[in-house]
Amino acid sequence: MKHVLKITAYTLRDQLRHKSVYVLFGISILFILLIRGCYDGRYTVNGRMVDNQAIAWHVSKTVFHLIAGGMYLMAAMISMKLFSRDREDGSMVLFLSRSVFRREYVLGRVTGTWLLCLVFMLLLHLTIFLTAWSKTGTFIPAYPVASLVVSINLLFVIACVSLLSLFMPDFISAMFTMGILLIGFISDGGHRILTSDLVRAAAPSMVDSEPALWRMLYPKVFMVQAYADSLLSNSPFHNMGSVHPILNIAIFILLIMVSVLAAFDRKEI
Amino acid sequence: MKMVKLEAVTKKFGAFTAVDHASYTIEKGEAFALLGPNGAGKTTIVRMLLDFVKPSSGRITIAGLPSSDPCSRRQVGYVAEQLLIPPYLSGFEYLSRHAAFIGIPGKEVKKNVDRVLETVSMKGEEGRRSAEYSKGMRQRMGLASALLGDPALLILDEPTIGLDPIGIRDVRNILEHLHDQGVTVILNSHMLSEAERTCETAAIMVKGKILVKDAVNAIVKDHETLEDVFFRYLGQVK
Repeated sequence: MKHVLKITAYTLRDQLRHKSVYVLFGISILFILLIRGCYDGRYTVNGRMVDNQAIAWHVSKTVFHLIAGGMYLMAAMISMKLFSRDREDGSMVLFLSRSVFRREYVLGRVTGTWLLCLVFMLLLHLTIFLTAWSKTGTFIPAYPVASLVVSINLLFVIACVSLLSLFMPDFISAMFTMGILLIGFISDGGHRILTSDLVRAAAPSMVDSEPALWRMLYPKVFMVQAYADSLLSNSPFHNMGSVHPILNIAIFILLIMVSVLAAFDRKEI
Repeated sequence: MKMVKLEAVTKKFGAFTAVDHASYTIEKGEAFALLGPNGAGKTTIVRMLLDFVKPSSGRITIAGLPSSDPCSRRQVGYVAEQLLIPPYLSGFEYLSRHAAFIGIPGKEVKKNVDRVLETVSMKGEEGRRSAEYSKGMRQRMGLASALLGDPALLILDEPTIGLDPIGIRDVRNILEHLHDQGVTVILNSHMLSEAERTCETAAIMVKGKILVKDAVNAIVKDHETLEDVFFRYLGQVK
């Protein structure tokens, strides 16, 4: 455990030495600064002024999901080189030539990367949360909590890319993971539309049809985000299947991490 | 007491056999040279000792522990053939990381790092980023990392590659000093003169097979150098 914590700390420090992390952070901050303008505007629909708080609410929710989506991509980009960079620059030999278990090394690297992405995302979400609060007085109490809920998806992405990067080129493993997410977004997004109040009212028979088993067992990255969304709106959450999406993702993370540890244990250094 | 024991160790990479039924033991305090031409399988043995590569068959133990157990590396210092130091780390940070995993308390890290830097004549260079180091400086830094925590076993894979004559002499002096202190040394080299001066036992390895393992003075006949012996064995294989 001591070694895992040390490697986690070194991972955070090492990642923060890469200029690319600061470039991405800078771009994200710039994006948020641009979004700030939305909170200042006066919007008129059919000649009537729209309540600024309602606008702030919707903008904050939309940006919440945009930040989360951007962070999935960033997590994939950072984690795709987790092992290959260590192999190239000698870090892997540094750790493993000492009395460090391979599992400690892998867990330390993955945890460090996850913590970095989590803090990064939380900072961006908090910036939006505070901007909405200070500019319009809109207080969304579940915003930080929803951010933490979505962070489990980041861990899923990092674990998935780490596993795939042991078998395929780094960039392909990142893109493959984004592909997994995209399929989930299309499948679960479709389900969300079908179970929306509008479709329920228009075509109740479509809502009753059970989704295919693979769709229920598929990694529920989108549904975790939908769950976070329901926390933000304080609205009921329509789940797909009987397993809660957080449990679904947690099980996937566990299975993937066991596979990463098993595969890395057989790898030649 | 046996420090290192290899029992019928074989390593295959696909159809290619890199190490073929290698068996030998290295006693505590022994300075042992593993000699052989390029591609003989010397580095593969070193990598198996450190569990970087798993043997296809056979068993390796270090101080009684299987090499697959990281605890077996608790008192091992290792210098790689082509040492890589993360380019963003300074020499001090690199050595501090090693110290952290050896278990040197935080307060004593600086003292220990200074001591090994002094030993490898790198004092004053530890603040520079490793990307600025020459190959020889990296090798010295690697040797410094291996000396941290007073290892009981030192595994050196071609440690003098890239070093100038002064560096080679320094490494030889360090090895002799450590050997006098009872440290077990495994020197993996194709520099025969180096091995002859530093080690008391040697094994000659060709095409994955250990051809002979004995005391250097038992392998070398009258009026022969280790180099003559090496080519004698190499000729037998050809």
